[in-house]
Amino acid sequence: MGYESEATTVALSGVIAEADHARTARYADDAGRVLAAAPKSQRQAGHHLRELVKALLLAANPLFAAGNTTKNFNLRQYRLGRWLVAIVALFGSAMPAMAEPGVTDSEIVIGMFAPLSGPLVTYGLDPVQTAQMLYEQVNQKGGIHGRKIRVVVEDDKCQATALVAAVKKLATVDNVFILHGGSCTAAVTAAQEFITREKIPLVMLVAAGDPGVFPPTRYMFGSFGGTQRLYAAALTEFAARQLKSKRLAIIVHDDEYGNASLATAKAVAARYGIEVVAVERVPLNINDLTAPMLNIRAAKPDAILSGAYPAPAVLVAQKYAEYGMTATPLLEMTQGIPTASVFAKNVGNEAALRNFYYSWAQNDVGDEALRQKWTSMYKSRYPDREPGGFMIIGVPSTVAIIAALERAGPNLTRERFVDAMETLEVKHEVMAGPIKFAPGRRDAIRDVNVVKFDGKTQTVMPGIYSWNGMDGN
Amino acid sequence: MSPIILQAIASGLVTGCVYALVSLSLVIVYKSVDLLNFGGGELVMVGGYLALLVVVRFGFGYLMIFPVVIAVGFAIGALFDRIPLNWIRRGHAPGTVIVPMIVATLGLSYLLKGAVRVIPYTEEPRRLEPLWRGEPLFIGDVVLQWQDVGIVAVTAVIMLGLWLFFRFTLLGKALRAISQNPRAAALVGIPVTTLRMAVWGLSSAIAGIAGVLLAPKLLMTPDMGSIVMMGFASAIIGGFTSLPGCVIGGMIIGVVQNLVGILISPQAIAVTPFFIIMIVLVVRPQGLLGEVIAAKKV
Amino acid sequence: MFGAPTPRQFIPIAILIVLGLVLPLVLPQYFLYIGNLLMMYAVLALGFDILLGWSGQFAFAHIAFFGVGIYGTALLQIRLGIPFVIGMPIAALGAGLIGFLIGVPATRLRTVYLALATFAFAECAQWVFRTWDSVTNGTDGVRIPAPRIFGFIVEKDASAFPVLALILALVLVSMLFLSTSKFARSLGAIRESEHVAAVSGINVAFVKVLAFTISAVYAGIAGGMYTLFQSFVSPDALDVTLLVLLLSMLVVGGSGSIPGVVIGVVLMGVFPEILRFAPPRLLVWQEFVYGLIIVLAIMFMPRGVWGIVQARAQRKTSLAVKHELMEGNKEAQRYPDGIALLDSRFDAPLRRPASAQSLHDGR
Repeated sequence: MGYESEATTVALSGVIAEADHARTARYADDAGRVLAAAPKSQRQAGHHLRELVKALLLAANPLFAAGNTTKNFNLRQYRLGRWLVAIVALFGSAMPAMAEPGVTDSEIVIGMFAPLSGPLVTYGLDPVQTAQMLYEQVNQKGGIHGRKIRVVVEDDKCQATALVAAVKKLATVDNVFILHGGSCTAAVTAAQEFITREKIPLVMLVAAGDPGVFPPTRYMFGSFGGTQRLYAAALTEFAARQLKSKRLAIIVHDDEYGNASLATAKAVAARYGIEVVAVERVPLNINDLTAPMLNIRAAKPDAILSGAYPAPAVLVAQKYAEYGMTATPLLEMTQGIPTASVFAKNVGNEAALRNFYYSWAQNDVGDEALRQKWTSMYKSRYPDREPGGFMIIGVPSTVAIIAALERAGPNLTRERFVDAMETLEVKHEVMAGPIKFAPGRRDAIRDVNVVKFDGKTQTVMPGIYSWNGMDGN
Repeated sequence: MSPIILQAIASGLVTGCVYALVSLSLVIVYKSVDLLNFGGGELVMVGGYLALLVVVRFGFGYLMIFPVVIAVGFAIGALFDRIPLNWIRRGHAPGTVIVPMIVATLGLSYLLKGAVRVIPYTEEPRRLEPLWRGEPLFIGDVVLQWQDVGIVAVTAVIMLGLWLFFRFTLLGKALRAISQNPRAAALVGIPVTTLRMAVWGLSSAIAGIAGVLLAPKLLMTPDMGSIVMMGFASAIIGGFTSLPGCVIGGMIIGVVQNLVGILISPQAIAVTPFFIIMIVLVVRPQGLLGEVIAAKKV
Repeated sequence: MFGAPTPRQFIPIAILIVLGLVLPLVLPQYFLYIGNLLMMYAVLALGFDILLGWSGQFAFAHIAFFGVGIYGTALLQIRLGIPFVIGMPIAALGAGLIGFLIGVPATRLRTVYLALATFAFAECAQWVFRTWDSVTNGTDGVRIPAPRIFGFIVEKDASAFPVLALILALVLVSMLFLSTSKFARSLGAIRESEHVAAVSGINVAFVKVLAFTISAVYAGIAGGMYTLFQSFVSPDALDVTLLVLLLSMLVVGGSGSIPGVVIGVVLMGVFPEILRFAPPRLLVWQEFVYGLIIVLAIMFMPRGVWGIVQARAQRKTSLAVKHELMEGNKEAQRYPDGIALLDSRFDAPLRRPASAQSLHDGR
């Protein structure tokens, strides 16, 4: 931000030329000394400006200057002066005047954002509250290297414009240390250029964020619930190895999620020698799946891979049962099943789930004790809210941030934080696999469980299914 | 014809009936007060959620759904007409009153959507159990659910009832009079305000019923209201002033969508109704069965 | 007001340019970003108003032209290397061309059908943006590189702000001239009654198509403005939500007048930002509040905030005249009937039928 301080200094110093030379030579010396001293940091620049204004005021108004130097200068004499200094102080505070934004000796400020209104609230409120809960636990234990974590939360409505506004407010008005948030891939990608330019680390919350992490950029970390590529790869591999499938049918949406999963599924299928016999790309708001399901049935697949969102996923399962395809295994990617029991109730047909599997990157499925532990932890903190299925996905990103903050040490800067994140490999009871980054890698999770769900019981299939980071890329 | 095409047509006819119900509710309002109700979709959504509430939350039987939905739907519609719309009417000259009223219906749609969205229960998609259950019905190779048959039956009954009402009863004629020339109708002694309110109430009640029938077939989310566009498309194809027209229009859209999905690509399904709207309005604005639109004299 | 624009009307534009140069030096990026958004919305809404407010055409295709402007400017730069200064006018003219093509059939349709047909067109356009992968990258969206203007790279909000202010100033100047032209008078006549307008010698079809075209060009310009300060565009941004936002700006601020539209843009554009101060749990009520604002605004402020301001001003003038006549003029006392007539007229309620007012309204 040197540009702003230099500009104002240059602008204000024009005043000196107007003043009385003889009387002001002394005061111009003061001003000159101030100008000559190069600001060592922005904090000093603000201070220098204030001194400069005092010098200029003296220079410009010789009548009041008699007997004053900058040292015993009394601003109270000048109403105008007070206004000028106030404006200059505004200049000063508008620039990030701290050594490292968001970090003081006693606290670290984290800016969170998620959809707290609009259609995707279920991906927003619960994960944010889970994260806040975990940050509070850390604070209760004394904080990180003596600093408590303070959270500022904004609503991004899962829309690009609102998300960018929220991010810019957190960064330039609240001066947060890092950004933690984002549940919708397309919206989060819109902020990438800004955070890369301003060098502010952004750790995604729930978003898979495929276009934000491929190709990887230094400051953006994501995919704490797994990427689209991961779900597609894992389920395709499962179909190949466990179900011995040879003919795969794929149904996805025609958005960037769908594109990514389709490409990866095809690549993994090729690797295992599976033929892709049908590809159906359907609109987001589709409410009659007759056509795609009939097309798929006609292609006679021995496994069906679906990347549908929650509402269409139910319709897929229903139509699949209606058209008598339940002998063929149906594999659904994570985003379609926020809460398995609700999914089953919506499908309303036990026969439809005879051969149903889905991917899930967390361990709370099939491990009732774990699920109870986290649900009751959440409910004791937020008694008036019943957590939805995505509550648990607030955990991995928060755990990663806390670990990286610890690792970055007491001398905390954004660059140190990014370096710490890059070397992270964290195993946590909630995740099926480790959270891992690397210099060329910004997607956190590459391992999932595959779960067989018959409407009542969830059985975790043996083995963890992983994505090698290459297929379909 | 291949069994796939037959199935597509059959399913399309059923979905089309749902669209037809939505468009029936829209056309009733149009026939009576010459107004597009952009909030119609949300009224459908509210009907569906009410049904969910009655059955799931309060545990009443299915038979209770209809009286509750009809009553609440009627109330919302009537209130909306009585308060905001009447106020707007009083403040504007007849020529310029349409635009603000349409904007008000848009506001209504957000009001309803926002009110429903606040309830945490609505965050995840929900489904209502079908009213008519049982093993699917097979006609040759074609599969139909009993719920589908029910939808078609209810649509036919409602359409017939409304058609008879508008054509042959005094009340129906009075409503058509109001739409053609409100001042003259008032002069002749028709209680315009009350009847308008009743029409709005009726239209909202029908929209609510459409929601109840729809809920088992689709998933309930607060954003279901986008189905209003299908309703408009059906009404345009069939003719905005014709009730049998909107049913036919709805079925055409349902079938064409499925056929497009099979023969062209499922990606094109989303754009089909809009494309049809544009083409029909340019080529034959009165639709299949509508009256030819004469410009209103001022 | 008809006739040439007065010099006084240019003062706000001058202030705008000054602010455009000064504010980036002072404000944090967040405020500059919001400012950029508002300026872009202002151009978009002003163009929309030409159809909705000036000519009473309920045409909802505006977002499609906006999209053409965005994708056009961005893709011309990425694919063909055409710089912003040339690319944006081309994209805006392209949008205008499409507006013309839509206008020709659209002018035959009545209000409600026009609304549906143009809305359908906007949805089709969004579908094209989503599906035409080879050109628009479909749902993956397009990353917009920072435009270069005469060698300057416009990257940060601070650098984009003065450029946007300049473009908005030029748009406002053109709107000022446009709003006092014969074109605007013809549109006003058409809004009141197409029959009377036709009979008075206005070529209704031609003027309507011209309105469509000009409105689309403004939308295209707004699209170019988008590329100046946003780094990413995807078809999701061009949906019904944006249309309803624009409509609410016009409804709340006051359609048909430039100050009204600008007020509406500021109020509805800043509204979501003000909501940031609300507790997070309450944010989910936003849509409901939004709907309430729309319904209440259209009920109680049919001519928007600006309409209320104008009505107050008129009422003050009327009251001043009345007092002048009654107290200052002894002669008037001799005609109590006349005074009674004056009384009733000047005490008339603020809400008057819109059509009676509009012909005498200032702009």
